[in-house]
Amino acid sequence: MRALFFIALNGFRESRRNRVTVVVGLFALLLVFFTTFSFELAVNTLDRAMTSVGIGFISLISEVLAIFLACGMLPREVERRTVFLVVSKPVSRTIFLVGRYLGNLATVLFVFSLMTGLFFLQFVVLRGTVTQAHLVALVGIVAEVVLLSAVGLLFSSFSSQFISVTTTVGLFFVGHMASDLYRLASASKAPAVKVVGLALYYLLPNLERLDFKLRATHSLPTPPGELGAALAYSGLYATLLVAVAAWIFERRDFR
Amino acid sequence: MTTDFAIETRGLSKHYRVGRRAIIALEGLTLSVARGEVFGLLGPNGAGKSTTIKLLLDLIKPTAGEALVFGRSPRDSEGRRTIGFLPENPAPYEYLTGEEFLSLAARLSGLSAAESKTRVGELLVRVGMAKASNIIIRRYSKGMVQRIALAWALVGKPSLLILDEPTSGLDVLGRQLVRELILEERQRGTTILFCSHIIPDVERLCDRVALLVGGKLIKQGQVSELLVSEGALMEATVESITLEALKALGLEARAAGSRVVVCFDPAKTQEVLTQMMGAGARVCELTPARYSLEQLFVDAVTHTGVEERP
Ligand SMILES: Nc1ncnc2c1ncn2[C@@H]1O[C@H](COP(=O)(O)OP(=O)(O)OP(=O)(O)O)[C@@H](O)[C@H]1O
Ligand SMILES: [Mg+2]
Repeated sequence: MRALFFIALNGFRESRRNRVTVVVGLFALLLVFFTTFSFELAVNTLDRAMTSVGIGFISLISEVLAIFLACGMLPREVERRTVFLVVSKPVSRTIFLVGRYLGNLATVLFVFSLMTGLFFLQFVVLRGTVTQAHLVALVGIVAEVVLLSAVGLLFSSFSSQFISVTTTVGLFFVGHMASDLYRLASASKAPAVKVVGLALYYLLPNLERLDFKLRATHSLPTPPGELGAALAYSGLYATLLVAVAAWIFERRDFR
Repeated sequence: MTTDFAIETRGLSKHYRVGRRAIIALEGLTLSVARGEVFGLLGPNGAGKSTTIKLLLDLIKPTAGEALVFGRSPRDSEGRRTIGFLPENPAPYEYLTGEEFLSLAARLSGLSAAESKTRVGELLVRVGMAKASNIIIRRYSKGMVQRIALAWALVGKPSLLILDEPTSGLDVLGRQLVRELILEERQRGTTILFCSHIIPDVERLCDRVALLVGGKLIKQGQVSELLVSEGALMEATVESITLEALKALGLEARAAGSRVVVCFDPAKTQEVLTQMMGAGARVCELTPARYSLEQLFVDAVTHTGVEERP
């Protein structure tokens, strides 16, 4: 278990020194910072506009970073054969993989916290009111990051950077159109389309369940039960994906 | 803990599938390395040396056969606590400094923070990297990377060291360092398996060697045995006599500059020398021409006819 911690810590440290992550982080902070200025004039709708854009950016940046890290780090490490060094120590591949996953999450959560802190700071300074809906939306973003990172990890446990990124980005979009998929599938006359569509709807990660951004914009509260269900969904789904990734990773060749 | 062997393999094979073609990287390797032995793996490029090593570390899975390291399966990650591994062309984490990188190794090997600090300091000096310890590895030269990776292998005071071309990319001093380290570790009773293309190193350091060609084990044995058993000869360098005159005496001779070199069976030394001196030759030098490992290598490779692999 100590090994897990050191691998996670190392991943976090590595991405902190990676120029790409640093640039994404700075860019994120700039974006969030400037959301305020775009809405200075429209005082009566300030809360709503700022929430919508600010949380939108936080969500977008966190997810892009999550996908980038989940799909970028591991395949690169396997391709460069850095992995040889780590798994030649008394560290199982599963521990290595889970450590990598946690390291990625730590990095995303770090950037996420900076963005969130900056956002609330400005929000409060401009006399916006922080509601439960804001917090729920942010928790939802974390849940989505947890799930997306696991999706990325699964693909990078056996394929290249390119394939992992394309597949994960694809699933990201499909995941945000889950209800459209459901509607299309249910309305379809062809039974085959219906079955396949519904199967996909239930099997693929449903990211809409974790998306409370619109409610934040309109300050609509979310019942705790619904949030709890969403968190449980993301947690269980991610755990399952990480377990499958570990199962594959344990059996593959590093060549 | 009951086994006398550090490494045992039985019928170990690895086939790769590249497109439709199957590549036989290793075929039926049966081999054992005793505890405390320094064992050399020799063979031309693509012979299967690195493949063997990767199988021992569970980096790749065997197609057939099995391997045991100190009686344990390579799949058992706990078993790797006693192994130190230096891969060929090591690729450490680029964004860590040399010191951070070694600390990671120390912590992963189960050392405490304090132990790790002393051990890392010690090793940085040992591999001559103390000065560069605070520079990120991205800025290291090839030889520096090799040195830091060598330290990575040594961190946990392993009882088995597996080194894949340890001297590659090193300067003269670096090569000497590796030889010293190997001898030092051997003194401590560490078992060492290494492969190298530098035959004098292998000859000097190894107790036993195995020769792989095209994925198959061609020969194995004690270095001294392999060298002696394969036709030892005596060589005499002589002058003041012509090549023809020597050949007329029924001797096997070849010109070497202004002198002539004569080869003969050591058992006939007295007889041949008397004969040559009788014919007016002056003997300048007399040496037992050991059959070198290099010659053995070349012979084995050409005889098996599997040469010419990319
Ligand atoms: N990932 C791979 N995919 C397909 N074939 C491979 C792979 N790795 C190695 N091989 C093949 O396996 C054979 C043995 O390779 P190996 O790396 O063990 O050689 P080696 O003895 O270490 O050679 P060298 O002295 O060049 O390091 C080669 O023919 C090589 O083409
Ligand atoms: Mg090799």
